[in-house]
Amino acid sequence: MKAVLEVRQLTKKFADAGIENLDFSLREGCITGFIGRNGSGKTTTIKTILGLYLKDGGSIKFRGHEMKEHEQKIKSSIGVVLDEGYFYEEMTLREMKSVLAPAYSNWDDAVFSAYIQRFQLNLDQKIASLSKGMRMKFAIALAVSHHADLLIMDEPTSGLDPLVRKELMEILLEYMKEEGKSVFFSTHITSDLDKIADVLILIDKGRIIFNESKDDLLDRHAIVKGDNIFINEHTKKLFLRLRQTALGFEGITANKQAVYEQMNDVVFERPSIETIMLAYIGDETHVI
Amino acid sequence: MLFNLVKKDFLLAKKYILAMVLFAVAGPIFIYSKLGISGGSFISFLITLLFVEYILFNMVAMTEDKYKGAALLCTTPYTRNGVVKAKFLFILVLFICCFLLYNLATVIVGSSGLERLSMSDAGTALLIVAVFFGILIPFQFYFGYEKTKYISFFVIFLTPFILPGLIQLYQELDLASPVQMLSSQPRFVSDWLPFIAAFLIGIISMHVSVKIYSEKNL
Repeated sequence: MKAVLEVRQLTKKFADAGIENLDFSLREGCITGFIGRNGSGKTTTIKTILGLYLKDGGSIKFRGHEMKEHEQKIKSSIGVVLDEGYFYEEMTLREMKSVLAPAYSNWDDAVFSAYIQRFQLNLDQKIASLSKGMRMKFAIALAVSHHADLLIMDEPTSGLDPLVRKELMEILLEYMKEEGKSVFFSTHITSDLDKIADVLILIDKGRIIFNESKDDLLDRHAIVKGDNIFINEHTKKLFLRLRQTALGFEGITANKQAVYEQMNDVVFERPSIETIMLAYIGDETHVI
Repeated sequence: MLFNLVKKDFLLAKKYILAMVLFAVAGPIFIYSKLGISGGSFISFLITLLFVEYILFNMVAMTEDKYKGAALLCTTPYTRNGVVKAKFLFILVLFICCFLLYNLATVIVGSSGLERLSMSDAGTALLIVAVFFGILIPFQFYFGYEKTKYISFFVIFLTPFILPGLIQLYQELDLASPVQMLSSQPRFVSDWLPFIAAFLIGIISMHVSVKIYSEKNL
């Protein structure tokens, strides 16, 4: 699969946080989940990619073209949904659209109207009066109405109820049905990605912890439960997290095959993305 | 694309537009009737113009600061460069609107003495606007709306203390006033020089603002 966006050695430093030497690619036809706790560097990464933060180093290429040099052309192929919306709330939906639409040479009013009807939005309503869910839907309608090839979404599900989140996932799957589309989706609510993500990137303290396909990740990791007799100095190293009680142990491993070979009579369970994420970035007090 | 960003500024200030249109017509008539001095037409236009421009510019800047909409605009094919240029274009469009509305006012009260502006008067007004906003806009891009507000307040507060001293110094130096210098020039020069100077100041200020804004994290 071709890379739609390539990020190399991307660095953005702030006094107390930032991102350092990030390397990753977004593949065409894939939904890439960008996960990590609050303050891990997700929004900084997205804002730096979009040029809202000035990078301190590295390169960002969209379909092989350097972002900085072809900014206008590249941005007409990208749809963006930002966490806080950044809408002029005193405008109506129609006014906001009338400001943004002329920026795109390939704006499609028919697509926009179809989404507005589907989401049951009133174009004459003020943005300030929209609920968080409606605001997110309006942001999506704006983001996809110029036939964007890449949809970049920063925490779009944050603060939404489960029903709206489910609806958003369906919209993304529909969007992906068209050929050549890709989604880059940051979230700290990993359950949203269980069903739809193809690739997962975990970021923590501004550095990438892992970047691999969801299926490989779930195949490689396992929750292991068994008797304490299997735990020794050697086998302890096979676990990312391990909890022992008088009744037995429970741990999460990133090397399911090795555990399988060295321990018999233990139970393997498939972990969730959240469990895997917390195994890598949870603090010392965190257990499975 | 720039005009869409100017349209955006008008949409942000839409609540005040009608009041400002009325003021742009009634303001010069009222101020002129109270001044009763020669050259009162120009002064009444200038005061109205600065008032309308400053109020609307400030309203837009306040709303921009509140919603950080420029960040969303910069995720689209609108560039930072365009966002800055549109601010200057907004000021120019307001100037043209105020000028046209002032002319409407002179037609409405034709017999009161409120005169149409000469070419050099219009140019001088544009030059004053260019100097004022040529300083204010880059300042605001650098410091942001809130800090600029406090700095402006501080400057206005200091003005009564500093201005008399400056006027006294000016009188002691016995320099010719820019208006005197301008009127002693040939007609063609006195008509066009203020416009040229205004555009030069505007372009320099625009370049400075573009540079400042290109280095900002949004």
